[in-house]
Amino acid sequence: MVQLRPRASRAPASAEAMVDEGQLASEEEEAEHGLLLGQPSSGAAAEPLEEDEEGDDELDDEAPEELTFASAQAEAREEEWRVRETVRRDKTLLKEKRKRREELFIEQKKRKLLPDTILEKLTTASQTNIKKSPGKVKEVNLQKKNEDCEKGNDSKKVKVQKVQSVSQNKSYLAVRLKDQDLRDSRQQAAQAFIHNSLYGPGTNRTTVNKFLSLANKRLPVKRAAVQFLNNAWGIQKKQNAKRFKRRWMVRKMKTKK
Amino acid sequence: MGEFKVHRVRFFNYVPSGIRCVAYNNQSNRLAVSRTDGTVEIYNLSANYFQEKFFPGHESRATEALCWAEGQRLFSAGLNGEIMEYDLQALNIKYAMDAFGGPIWSMAASPSGSQLLVGCEDGSVKLFQITPDKIQFERNFDRQKSRILSLSWHPSGTHIAAGSIDYISVFDVKSGSAVHKMIVDRQYMGVSKRKCIVWGVAFLSDGTIISVDSAGKVQFWDSATGTLVKSHLIANADVQSIAVADQEDSFVVGTAEGTVFHFQLVPVTSNSSEKQWVRTKPFQHHTHDVRTVAHSPTALISGGTDTHLVFRPLMEKVQVKNYDAALRKITFPHRCLISCSKKRQLLLFQFAHHLELWRLGSTVATGKNGDTLPLSKNADHLLHLKTKGPENIICSCISPCGSWIAYSTVSRFFLYRLNYEHDNISLKRVSKMPAFLRSALQILFSEDSTKLFVASNQGALHIVQLSGGSFKHLHAFQPQSGTVEAMCLLAVSPDGNWLAASGTSAGVHVYNVKQQKLHCTVPAYNFPVTAMAIAPNTNNLVITHSDQQVFEYSIPDKQYTDWSRTVQKQGFHHLWLQRDTPISHISFHPKRPMHILLHDAYMFCIIDKSLPLPNDKTLLYNPFPPTNESDVVRRRTAHAFRISKIYKPLLFMDLLVERTLVAVERPLNDIIGQVPPPIKEKKFGT
Repeated sequence: MVQLRPRASRAPASAEAMVDEGQLASEEEEAEHGLLLGQPSSGAAAEPLEEDEEGDDELDDEAPEELTFASAQAEAREEEWRVRETVRRDKTLLKEKRKRREELFIEQKKRKLLPDTILEKLTTASQTNIKKSPGKVKEVNLQKKNEDCEKGNDSKKVKVQKVQSVSQNKSYLAVRLKDQDLRDSRQQAAQAFIHNSLYGPGTNRTTVNKFLSLANKRLPVKRAAVQFLNNAWGIQKKQNAKRFKRRWMVRKMKTKK
Repeated sequence: MGEFKVHRVRFFNYVPSGIRCVAYNNQSNRLAVSRTDGTVEIYNLSANYFQEKFFPGHESRATEALCWAEGQRLFSAGLNGEIMEYDLQALNIKYAMDAFGGPIWSMAASPSGSQLLVGCEDGSVKLFQITPDKIQFERNFDRQKSRILSLSWHPSGTHIAAGSIDYISVFDVKSGSAVHKMIVDRQYMGVSKRKCIVWGVAFLSDGTIISVDSAGKVQFWDSATGTLVKSHLIANADVQSIAVADQEDSFVVGTAEGTVFHFQLVPVTSNSSEKQWVRTKPFQHHTHDVRTVAHSPTALISGGTDTHLVFRPLMEKVQVKNYDAALRKITFPHRCLISCSKKRQLLLFQFAHHLELWRLGSTVATGKNGDTLPLSKNADHLLHLKTKGPENIICSCISPCGSWIAYSTVSRFFLYRLNYEHDNISLKRVSKMPAFLRSALQILFSEDSTKLFVASNQGALHIVQLSGGSFKHLHAFQPQSGTVEAMCLLAVSPDGNWLAASGTSAGVHVYNVKQQKLHCTVPAYNFPVTAMAIAPNTNNLVITHSDQQVFEYSIPDKQYTDWSRTVQKQGFHHLWLQRDTPISHISFHPKRPMHILLHDAYMFCIIDKSLPLPNDKTLLYNPFPPTNESDVVRRRTAHAFRISKIYKPLLFMDLLVERTLVAVERPLNDIIGQVPPPIKEKKFGT
């Protein structure tokens, strides 16, 4: 059954005529509800609730408290203001937190990069030396660094740009160690593609044994499969058995003597 | 003849790698074959389909494309991103140039032969200019979305068709921009989740593009409008390769089920001028994927994962209908991969990346003709020697006494000393090999194991003296004049005086080892040498050629022997000349100077020079008749060539000691059992 909320009426006298079917959760909610409805919650409207709640337990016939309209209104307004304040405070707190975090990240990023001076030099050097290099766009960015002499083959002289050493005191050279790994990983990816497209899921492959034994299945006198024995089965067990047999023989010989 | 005890050896686990690409050169009638382990072999089709040269493979090289360019230059490109050029004279790789596009999937030479096009993993198509000594990058075409898996030039050189995943693009060469992009259906009349990979494209001169893809379709497109003209569904699995004839009236496609289809341009009705493409012949010579096909003017060539190389001459194109029009299947190697130490009964097996040393078993039982004797001692796997580095082994040898093993890769030469104490074996490497010994084409030890003969790929022959645990370089014979025709073969006489070397177009050179100078040269013959050996005592050099001719040359007399002249005058039996496989090893009986032992992959023959030669009317294959036949009949039918076909397929056969032979067999099913899985075949009732 649907519990109807008692309607807040203007006239305090109609409180008696109120049907006390529903029960509101709290007084505050009632007050808010009254406020939202745009009706001044009369003290009389609040009253009968109290009366109802109490009335269920005790059958005392006390006179309700007299609350003026203004005080109740002021109270309600205060509540409302408090709620708004907390929300605003939370928002500002969050904002501040976010700001602090951002600053922290920017600082960390700055710390990670090389000092500004070196970066400047690198960018100016690469601008002047950029040749038209084929391949991915990524490679152009990566090719700002020099290649190690050991890694660079003779054939690469044509394409890779040699960057002059960038530091002031010329004591180090930037080296790209990922070169060979990149190549290997690309080759592996390519081989995986071929393997997948020819032998991967979705292809209709069968084992060689089954393929060669098809003819044996259709003969008038059916024969066994071509690779009938599985010699790779139980290798460990067979080895253990052989070892045990040898040791047993030796023991037998000893006891016989 | 007497009876022999034969060691039948089947523990040589030889598995060749699958064929990945072939390229046919019309001018020289040669075929370049590239395998999955990076080996590139050159077959001379006019010399009875003999493998004359090869370039050893490399672990990181995964060749995906092979092509001939102008002037007999051979290029290959692979998944390591490099374009390599092969030097056919020096038998090494000239240079390897990185294309900077990631793994390279396809390569095509322009019809004029002066430009090279590569299709890369990142979707770019790069154009290279072929200069006299190198290739030079010219420019990039428009970059596409996915990897370019196949390329084809228009015969005029103005347009290019590039097949990728789910689409085909047509480029204009001058501008480098994509003119058309044709979307390929993922399935013939249907939808599919699996992407359609366009494995091959071919551009015809009338503007038709033929594409083969992984859905089993062969499609004809019009490049002017960019539309699909005709679609054929020919297989349930991928169609992986396509090759068009020069006259553009026929092409061949290979499928993953092992079937090769021949398409021909035939008139619609018998006297109309309108023609259409019709699928005419299916050939099922393979069991596994046919990854590559080629179309020569008279034959269809196919190769795939089951390691066979099949030549199918087309009957309508062959001029003379003789044995040349038969199917040729090359499965077994044309070189000897096994060496034998007779004194200690050891066999050295050469694999791509390791060597295995086995000792033969022994038996004490006796029996009569045809019995199988039980082994009292099993064959022993003594040594498993892995090579350092990613390169394949080119050649290897074990000395007759069994105490030295030598092998060579492209960059290094390895020499090991073996010590035997009781049943154990210990190995010690001889360090600090000189640089000129590396990349040897052939290695041979002298009979007394004191000298090592090395033929290096620069053409020089080196003699190295071995003593104790060290070696000393004695002499180097410089390369003689004449172009390099084939891989160098060596033969040394048992008394150690003479050394014969073949390989150049000038003929077989015979050197005097003691005096360290050239003794004589056997006159050149237009077919390459397949095997050579020098007989003991008489010092006759026996040479066999790829057209199955056998010559005997007397080294001390510097001329052909009388027997050889007789044979040449009469000619060989026609069945002898029609054998498919070349003779790969010759040996002699020490006590019987009139016998020569030869073998090829399917037969083993003892030539008895004292018996009469067969003419074309006699039966060539004449197994020993039963003893209850009269002697007269036996004498009448006996001829010089005693052939036995009991042991086949033979990889090696040699005479160990008196009355003992060793025969190394490799059954075909054992090879097929170890290749990658084939496509499932559905048969009713299974």
